[in-house]
Amino acid sequence: MRGPRLRLLLALLVLTAFTLTAIDYRAGEGSPFDALRRGSDTVFGPAQRTVGGAARSVGNALGGLPRLGRYQEDNRRLERENARLRALLRETDGLRRSDAELKKLLQLRPVGQYAVIPARVVSVGSALGFEWTATLDAGSRDGVKPGQTVLTGDGLVGRTKRVSPFTTVVVLLLDPTFTVGARLQRLGGVGLASGLGSSGMQYELIDQDAQVRPGDVLATTQSDTFVPDVPVGRVTRVVGGARTLTRTTRVDPFVDVSSLDLVGVVVGPARMAPRTPVRS
Amino acid sequence: MSGPRFVLGMVTVLAALLLQTAVLTVLPLPGAAPDLLVVLVVAFALAEGQLSGLVTGFVAGLAADLAADHQLGRLALAYAVVGYVAGLVHDDTERSTLLPFAAVAAGAVGAVLLYAGVGALLGDARVTGAAVGRSLVSSVPYAVVLTPFVVPVVAALVRRVEPDAARR
Repeated sequence: MRGPRLRLLLALLVLTAFTLTAIDYRAGEGSPFDALRRGSDTVFGPAQRTVGGAARSVGNALGGLPRLGRYQEDNRRLERENARLRALLRETDGLRRSDAELKKLLQLRPVGQYAVIPARVVSVGSALGFEWTATLDAGSRDGVKPGQTVLTGDGLVGRTKRVSPFTTVVVLLLDPTFTVGARLQRLGGVGLASGLGSSGMQYELIDQDAQVRPGDVLATTQSDTFVPDVPVGRVTRVVGGARTLTRTTRVDPFVDVSSLDLVGVVVGPARMAPRTPVRS
Repeated sequence: MSGPRFVLGMVTVLAALLLQTAVLTVLPLPGAAPDLLVVLVVAFALAEGQLSGLVTGFVAGLAADLAADHQLGRLALAYAVVGYVAGLVHDDTERSTLLPFAAVAAGAVGAVLLYAGVGALLGDARVTGAAVGRSLVSSVPYAVVLTPFVVPVVAALVRRVEPDAARR
């Protein structure tokens, strides 16, 4: 095939591709192609799980090599941090006692309230590096549904988006399409944290009077998707001035998405004993 | 297109996509992950010409679109155009050893710009100046590094499956 007929085919394929994009874009969530995506995930997922799991372990081993020299330095830094935290812990003992008493008063069950299933990350990101997503080796057969919280021991990872029988696509907290309601732990102010790609996250505080400072810690607020009080990140820089409507700050997430391995998906609601009125 | 040639195209595209999503994105490399598919598309275009580049690009792009989290057809468009353009230098491939590297580098740049261009038209929040820069800075060197492993292999496979086609 040469000349005009080849150019006709080019035009035809480009037009087809763009039409598909336009239809998919207009439909948004609940696109007619979602079934196609699920089908491809179902077929492709098991292979991706197997190959990805093997690659993950090799990658982790290789990734450690350039860091060998830095381990000593890390060790000293961690020892210092340990000493500081131990001091802090002694201070919080008293607070913890009163907190435990209050919890008993409210008859709340302690830790382990959420049903969390563990999952391994088989793939991070895609499509030329524009998307901050991860694929997990757990899917609908393990009880995962779209729109659930994904976390690690360090804090928030993201939310589940596309679930097939064996795999789940997670939108990571760095993704520009990711937004989560978050509370400043120190001040209690509420705002929205959203992803900025490779430059971390931003946090828009709704309360104008709150004096947000670098070092402040953010945690999630309860919503349809997210469970409350999952640590999100630490404020590094305050961008907006005092006169702007909302104050924007830069946030450094606690979770390093480039070295994700084992994560947890919150698949069940909190199991709490019903609260009874407090009588004094 | 003969039956074996069709199978070759499908198998290489699917194997590349599996390597891409399950291995290359997981390796602890700085910047965006290497884009194996664009190298494969350019390799077919160099080995067989514009038609092969165009069709391989469209199919590989569509398969990658299905696996990714964006609108269907965006990578199909980018890779199809890249394959078509790379096929223009098909006849000159044997004259220079540097030509495949230049073609792959240009293809990698083209794919990023076309993908980001359609994204910008649709108001994709992920397509920012910083993201395009990050993607370009990593995709070009990685694609060039992958070239010696992909282009000769694809050329040899094509010669084996369709001995007449390579001389076309």
